[in-house]
Amino acid sequence: MNFASFLFAQSLNALSQAAVLFFIACGLTLIFGIMRIVNFAHGALFMLGAYVGYSVAVSTGSFWLALIAAPLATGALGAAFERTFLARLYLRQDAGAYLMVTFGLAIILGEAIRLAWGAAPLGVAIPDRLRGIVTVGNQPFPIYRVFLIAAGALAALALWQFLERTRAGLLVRAVAQNAEMVHALGTDVRTVRTAVFAFGCAMAALGGVLSAPLVTAFLGMGSNVIIDAFVIVIIGGMGSFAGSIVGSLLVAFVQVFGAYYFEDLALALMYLLMLAVLIVRPGGMLGKEE
Amino acid sequence: MPLLECRALSRRFGGLVAVDAVDLAVEPGEVRAVIGPNGAGKSTLFNVITGVLPPSDGEIYFAGERITALPVHRVIQKGVARTFQLTHLFPALTARENVRIAAQARYAARWRPLAGGALFAATTAAADAALDLVRLSDVADVKAGLLSHGSQRLLEVAMALAQRPRLLLLDEPTQGLSVEETDQAVGILRGMLGAGGLTVILVEHDMEVVFRLADKITVLHRGRVIADGAPDAVKANAEVQSAYLGGLE
Amino acid sequence: MQRVALAAVVLALCVAAPFASPFTLTLLTEALIFGLFAMSLDLMVGYTRLYSFGHAAAYGLGAYATALTLLHFQLPLPLGILAGVALAIIVAVPIAWVCTKSTGVSFAMLTLAFAQLGYAMLYRFKDVTGGSDGVGGIPRPPGPFGLDFFQGKVGYFYLVIFCLAGSYLLCRMLVASPFGAVLAGIRENDAKMRALGYNTRAYKWAVVVVAYGFGALAGALYTAFAGFVAPELFFWLVSGRVLIMVIVGGAGTLIGPIIGGAFFLILEHQLSEVIEFWPLIFGAVFIAFVMLAPEGIWGLVRKFARAKPARSDAEAPRAAT
Repeated sequence: MNFASFLFAQSLNALSQAAVLFFIACGLTLIFGIMRIVNFAHGALFMLGAYVGYSVAVSTGSFWLALIAAPLATGALGAAFERTFLARLYLRQDAGAYLMVTFGLAIILGEAIRLAWGAAPLGVAIPDRLRGIVTVGNQPFPIYRVFLIAAGALAALALWQFLERTRAGLLVRAVAQNAEMVHALGTDVRTVRTAVFAFGCAMAALGGVLSAPLVTAFLGMGSNVIIDAFVIVIIGGMGSFAGSIVGSLLVAFVQVFGAYYFEDLALALMYLLMLAVLIVRPGGMLGKEE
Repeated sequence: MPLLECRALSRRFGGLVAVDAVDLAVEPGEVRAVIGPNGAGKSTLFNVITGVLPPSDGEIYFAGERITALPVHRVIQKGVARTFQLTHLFPALTARENVRIAAQARYAARWRPLAGGALFAATTAAADAALDLVRLSDVADVKAGLLSHGSQRLLEVAMALAQRPRLLLLDEPTQGLSVEETDQAVGILRGMLGAGGLTVILVEHDMEVVFRLADKITVLHRGRVIADGAPDAVKANAEVQSAYLGGLE
Repeated sequence: MQRVALAAVVLALCVAAPFASPFTLTLLTEALIFGLFAMSLDLMVGYTRLYSFGHAAAYGLGAYATALTLLHFQLPLPLGILAGVALAIIVAVPIAWVCTKSTGVSFAMLTLAFAQLGYAMLYRFKDVTGGSDGVGGIPRPPGPFGLDFFQGKVGYFYLVIFCLAGSYLLCRMLVASPFGAVLAGIRENDAKMRALGYNTRAYKWAVVVVAYGFGALAGALYTAFAGFVAPELFFWLVSGRVLIMVIVGGAGTLIGPIIGGAFFLILEHQLSEVIEFWPLIFGAVFIAFVMLAPEGIWGLVRKFARAKPARSDAEAPRAAT
């Protein structure tokens, strides 16, 4: 395999990884941008999506159903949590409280999943239609990974259009800028916030279901991914949708190529990247200054 | 030599010019009022002078020393104190504790990690004196967040005084105060100024307050200085009158 | 009054120690070490409102540095611990400088990043740090002049309680000092403090280093206590756990986190075998406290003890209101 092919193959890998990361990161950054909440439970919700997806796939035999059911269920859970706990903290004006309540949720979810599904990793089968290898360029590449890239790109496009072109999207962006003003204009800001949180959770869960066939549903996948998600959102800028795309790509490429070239440093590389960005620009690369 | 001098000071926010080539020279002991319609750039001017915002252009000199690029705390340490348009206090601390922390800023020993007995005695005395000056001694032990709006404004003034500044910047000190409270505040300010040694720049909307306190008036309109001089001259200035749409209040 | 009660408790523990079972002593020693760790974080979280999700780094730094001094240099135990803490503080200075460049969430993320970086570094430099196996067989070398009192369980317990009590007193003095008054101001309104002329960044830098110092002491004490160190000490769940201890115990009280930390460690040891879903309860209790009683256990105790409503206490206010 010459260098160009190697580069190409690894880039495709990175793209598929970026797609999964994007699902998690976009939810996290939207939740922060619109609600000023750093959702520590985001990794656990990703994990929940994977496990729920597993159960749905196994009991109904349909992976596609799992793709719909898991995000819906997780989104509903997120909405309930937001209404019950997070909405009540709004008046307190204390960012720390949000950090801690979502951290508590992360712990609870992690343990609940362990109790409900057990400690062993659970495999999810790739649906038949997405099995197999396709040749891209002249490299073999799993069809499923192509599917991931397509799903990620589609989601990014759809979300972008939603935020920029629709009235609801405009409302969401308005709330991010100035919630009081939007409230004064008669919109129920509370509902917007609940919807955004639920959506963020659903996206994370979708990422989980999508990644389950590749990595299996296992305990600890939440902890692994939450750090990645934070790094992405900080690099891309907290609250910046475009930043979550850029950040996902950057982190995925660093992870894939870093793992190859700097095997031992791979883990450290991402933190160094995050540190560098935060030192130079405390608000992240594309985000709002704090 | 002027105590505070601004030369061609400008501050832009993207396309909006909030402060436009402002020249300002305030002599020691002077009371200067800065007035202008809403949005004229008065608070922004204060923010630039104190270093909260960096200027886009121009220079600032304090007692002959260039302070243009300095961070807030360094400017304040040179002998400047400032109050804010929106009351800016420590709501969970008592009135006395608020003023004490303000007084502590002037002492070299303010960072001592142990044994603060002597310092605390000094700052408590300074705090009590300042509270006395603004007639808030009877609420010294009340949490600042629980005080009335008028008392909070006065508390801020007390905190500024406790810093023993050479230059005091008051940003709309009578805002939100009732007629009686305003009267009381002006009386207190007159008393402070009578004691001497203080230079004041005062941003105000209430013209009566301005005429009772100011030696000179600077008028801002859309970030530019359109008039600058003794109160009577400014009052008669046609451009000023039109800026206020039909005469001064 | 409070001082007398605390002194009495400490005295009681010291007197009872020689008669306690080895199991109890071991548990209590570890509980007090954890209490010290929690108190160190309180300086940042409770007194300055600097939320750290990476305080495990302080613990881990102290632990590994002391492992080095005791194992490789065979320094007498008390000196080894001091040296370990000193090394940790040296590393903490640049870390604190970088972290305090930001505020709020970015600050929290930076502290987390450093802790995770430490975790990753331990795996990277396997030869020195032992990688995932950690470093074992750490001795308690006899102290200066052949003193071997600390080698026994009771002796070590006295060492830990001495360090805890001493640290507590130092922190109390710090919080009551002019420096402490500045921290209170920063906690309440950072921007106003800058507008008063304080270089708040410098103070925050200082308090983070001090917090790391005491956290490192806890880590150092742990090393000699357990006899081994492992990378898990740096893991973010450790940071999360100690943060929870501070909040539940009562942020901004110093005592609350000590008691909370010690108490929960004991509870965890006892219950995690009996109750399989202990983390579930742990997380739920934590959320309950944040929502309903953000001042924590000790904060509540103080609230009911002090009946005067107009008084505030600049030394030790409520955590999150």
